[in-house]
Amino acid sequence: MGFFSGLDSEGYDRQYTDRQLFTRMGVFFKPHRKKLVGIGLLLIVIAAAGATVPVLVSRGLDILGSEMRIRDIYLISGAVFIAGFISWGANWWRRRMTARAIGDVVLALRTEAFRSVADHDLSFHDEFTSGRIVSRITSDTREFGQVVVLITDLVSQITQAFILAIVLVNTEWQLSLYLLLFLPIIFLIASSFRNLARKVTRRGMRAMANVNATIKETVSGIAVAKNFRQEASIFAEFDDANTQSYRVNVQRGFVLSIVFPTLNALSGVGTAMLVYIGGMNVLQGMVSAGAWYLFILSLNRFFFPVLNLSAFWAQVQSGLSAAERVFALIDAESKINQNDNQIVPRLQGNIQFEGVWFRYTEQEEVLQDFDLHIQPGENVALVGHTGAGKSSLAKLVARFYEFQRGAILIDNMDIRSFDLQSYRSQLGIVSQIPFLFSGTVAENICYACQETPISQIETLSQQVGHGEWLESLPDGLQTEVGERGGRLSMGQRQLVALLRVLVQNPAIFILDEATASIDPFTEWQIQQALNLVLECTTSILIAHRLSTIKAADRIIVLDEGRIIEEGNHEGLLASQGHYAHLYNTYFRHQSLAYIEEARQLSEGD
Amino acid sequence: MDFIAHPLLVISAPETRPNSSQEFVHQLAMTTTASTAEFTLPQRKKSDRRSALRWIISHVIQYWYLILIVLIGAFGNALLAAAVPMFVGQAFNAMLATPPDTTSLIRITVLIVVTQIVRGVLQLGRNFGAELIGQRMERDIRDELYVSLLGKSMTFHSLQPIGDTMARATNDVREINFMFSPGLNLVIGSANFLLMPIIMAPSYHPALILTPFVFIAAYFLALWQYLHELRPITLRVREAFGMMNTRLAEAIDGVETMKGMAQERSEVERFGSRARRFRDAFVHQGDIEARFVPLILMFVAQAAGLLHALLLFHQGVLDVGQVVAYFGLLLLFGFPTFVSLFAYSQVSLGMASAGRILELINRRNDLDQNLMGKSDPMRGEIEFKGVCFTYDGKEPALENIDFKVSPGQTVAIVGQTGSGKTSLVKLINRTYDATNGQVLIDGVDVRDWNLEALRQSISIIEQDIFLFSRTITENIAFGHQNATNEQIHSASTAAQAHDFISEFSDGYDAVVGERGVTLSGGQRQRIALARAFLTDPTILVLDDSTSAIDSATEDRIQRAIFEAARGRTTFIITHRLSQIRWADQIFVMRKGRLVASGSHEELMRTSQAYRRIFSE
Repeated sequence: MGFFSGLDSEGYDRQYTDRQLFTRMGVFFKPHRKKLVGIGLLLIVIAAAGATVPVLVSRGLDILGSEMRIRDIYLISGAVFIAGFISWGANWWRRRMTARAIGDVVLALRTEAFRSVADHDLSFHDEFTSGRIVSRITSDTREFGQVVVLITDLVSQITQAFILAIVLVNTEWQLSLYLLLFLPIIFLIASSFRNLARKVTRRGMRAMANVNATIKETVSGIAVAKNFRQEASIFAEFDDANTQSYRVNVQRGFVLSIVFPTLNALSGVGTAMLVYIGGMNVLQGMVSAGAWYLFILSLNRFFFPVLNLSAFWAQVQSGLSAAERVFALIDAESKINQNDNQIVPRLQGNIQFEGVWFRYTEQEEVLQDFDLHIQPGENVALVGHTGAGKSSLAKLVARFYEFQRGAILIDNMDIRSFDLQSYRSQLGIVSQIPFLFSGTVAENICYACQETPISQIETLSQQVGHGEWLESLPDGLQTEVGERGGRLSMGQRQLVALLRVLVQNPAIFILDEATASIDPFTEWQIQQALNLVLECTTSILIAHRLSTIKAADRIIVLDEGRIIEEGNHEGLLASQGHYAHLYNTYFRHQSLAYIEEARQLSEGD
Repeated sequence: MDFIAHPLLVISAPETRPNSSQEFVHQLAMTTTASTAEFTLPQRKKSDRRSALRWIISHVIQYWYLILIVLIGAFGNALLAAAVPMFVGQAFNAMLATPPDTTSLIRITVLIVVTQIVRGVLQLGRNFGAELIGQRMERDIRDELYVSLLGKSMTFHSLQPIGDTMARATNDVREINFMFSPGLNLVIGSANFLLMPIIMAPSYHPALILTPFVFIAAYFLALWQYLHELRPITLRVREAFGMMNTRLAEAIDGVETMKGMAQERSEVERFGSRARRFRDAFVHQGDIEARFVPLILMFVAQAAGLLHALLLFHQGVLDVGQVVAYFGLLLLFGFPTFVSLFAYSQVSLGMASAGRILELINRRNDLDQNLMGKSDPMRGEIEFKGVCFTYDGKEPALENIDFKVSPGQTVAIVGQTGSGKTSLVKLINRTYDATNGQVLIDGVDVRDWNLEALRQSISIIEQDIFLFSRTITENIAFGHQNATNEQIHSASTAAQAHDFISEFSDGYDAVVGERGVTLSGGQRQRIALARAFLTDPTILVLDDSTSAIDSATEDRIQRAIFEAARGRTTFIITHRLSQIRWADQIFVMRKGRLVASGSHEELMRTSQAYRRIFSE
């Protein structure tokens, strides 16, 4: 860090007071208070040793004039060496201790933050994107740690400058005044340079981001460009952004390049001033030659603290904001309230909604006085337009969100009385885009039941479509699925997610069916796996495929949070009501009849 | 002394750099230079691509005048920095003389002011010169990399992950800039500071060269050892951070799964152990950085130099002013000591990045333009004869594919993911070349076609359809830049895209992407189809993985695809049963082989697997 750091930081709003923040930080630093005291003491030692060297040398200079003994020479040089050694050694220890203290505090903060995030309900996760949460847990905690280092460094420098200042004032106050008057000028110049540097840095970063975006776009588009032989056109686009970024960044470079030369020249003027005024003072006998030298040597030692001070507040502010963002993450309140934590016995799967009112936000009610009874072992398909409340129902059963009024009973027990861990271990959930964690296919299948023997997984995998799906995986069950399961196709991911549910053997199964298109062979195997799950669970199916709807025992047609029709496929279709309309909108094209007609459709146009 | 970050302020190295595990520099010598490119710009100066060092030098040498400015600036800056203690020494002698010499004091004062202002100018020359070199290198290298990327075959681009290319074109290129400024700027600047005491000390007494000399030797040894020790641990810190971060991001993205499966506790534990591993690496790095030996060497040099000078003074060889000047000269070592904490690592990072970029530039092109090849109008007959294909030389992606398709036929390809569908179609336009066997178009091996003629007659619509952040008109007319508006409109009407385009407030002038309209997969596909209508290819390859949520959209897609297939040889990789049902030929792929082919009626008779997918 230092003068040039943090130029690209943005401003943040603060909600906590400084006092609250420091109290919170105190909790994390408390276990390390011995280390902190040690660090503080070492800082003083470092500062004192640093200030001693110029004082020693200038004293030596005074002795030079008088009668000097060889012993004094060794003494002074020895003392300079010892001061240097102490400064180095103390600094070594200080940095070791700081690394440990910071490492531990950041670790505790990170673990705590992630634990809270894992506990927050889904309404919290809807509000914050995962990128923002991750950056709070990793980057913000790190920035906070760095600011602590920064503070200790600056404290050390300022202490050293302070000790020197006292020595100087005691030596000759008038000369000290000249020296100290010089510092605000440096501070002002440094601050204004920093402001300028911030401005050009922002512009530089924008230009940079622009080049990166252009590269990203055009590199992604290279295949297209090559297909159409349009290389020259995308090169022109790139060249433009590249040249523009060069121009802006050269301007930034100039501002940054000019800072130290200016300050150096200024310091030269300061030195010249001290040389002249000090020399005249020596002439008048007001100070000794040694003291004169001390003033000249000291100038540079005031420089760094002043320079860094000009950048300091901005950095501390951004560090505090970072800490605040982390604490805000930890403090976010859970909206789900359990009134008890009963361990849930093996469930039958009897689900009742009794007069349930539910909304995500104040503005819009999703469910109003909603009643529904699902029998144990029943497979229920929910259909309706987007926003009809299908997934809300499923998410309430999963207890991902809090409802406002009414009751949800599972096997006649209040869902609010459950220990959520033990309740959810009896739910099998497959979401629309099944999520896999990096690792092998087998690891993902037993994500919730890690002690499942591999032989059982193999048996299950064979049951699904004769294990044909394993053929398409290069290493079978040991295939790495990649980050977020990215190396598997959507169909394969669904198969893995369904097998995960089969291994888990839940009482209640919730499926939000994928809308992605899947090759017909894999589709057939998914159907096989799904049938296996449906056999042994109570199921809530948010269906997007015709075959799934047909497999359900009961179809519930939802509209604006109300049940408007229910029954089975044939019956509902025959009655020509809402379901028939939905069928014509969403499912007709999946039927075999449609496939046969497809040819005429295109020719009739 | 130069004003540069104080050592106590240097914080541990950033953890977020992209890590690349590739071995680079020494491999480079072995890579042959690219012979033929698919795209070149005229009048480019050739760079020397035999090794990273030669390559960087061949680039930077054209800015020899800037290098000269940097060198002169660095030397002058150090020289005039050394002048201050020497003047101070003279001032002491002037004042301690009997009688004191005040005119000299005034002269010295003026000289200090003048030299330090000149020094500022020289230092600016050094800094800005290095900055200019850095920025120009960044610009030039990015340009060279980009042109080389454009010149590479589609084989290259299909295999090369975009993220990796991006990392090299952005971070690595930036690293080269940083290598010059501040990296080499500080290395050169501080090297001149090391030199000054050696040059100046003999003017006081020849023996005074001893301390600076010994210091410099010890300094480089200690520095080498320090950097050597630090490198592996910095890498470990980065890796540990990456691992912690990746799993964290994944766990939060998968929060619904994590909670739904009641796995919060085990995820917290897993994250905790990774965070701890990072903490351990971080502390280890801190330990090494804490014990920074050059710093103690500097203190030793100051003490030893002081002792030496005082002893010489005692012998009457030196006067007070000379002792003061010499001690002041030794203080110049502060700057090299402090900057060495990061300047050298910056240079080595830059060289590593240069290696990675050059490796990418030098990677071989497999295809060439074949300008002398066949370029007659294409009829669209396609034949595969015993075609085998492999990406990596080990696992076959396609084995013994034989078939023949007559001009104008529509072929539907079905099979599971990884069965070789996409690989098969990519051999047609030479995105890849067959490893064994032959791909023939109109009876001529595709390798004997002129590449441009071949690709102009074949349109491939990929699974992920890429659109540029330009207007819809520009996107449709991408391959046919002087198409009239009428042509564009009729193409988009045929592709069933006209209706939804007209609904945008800017219509055909709507910009695609973040700054404009977002399009669904199906809409993108129809834009791509419109593009194909405009270029009117003889062969159309459609990798179709879209799915319509509602039947009305499905109707439109059906129409668009049937319309596009009319009068061309068409390959459709599709999941749509209706497309499969009505294709002239259907290829069933499994594990890289063509396990069944024929018309719908034939397959319904012969293939059980095929029958299965048409049962309700």
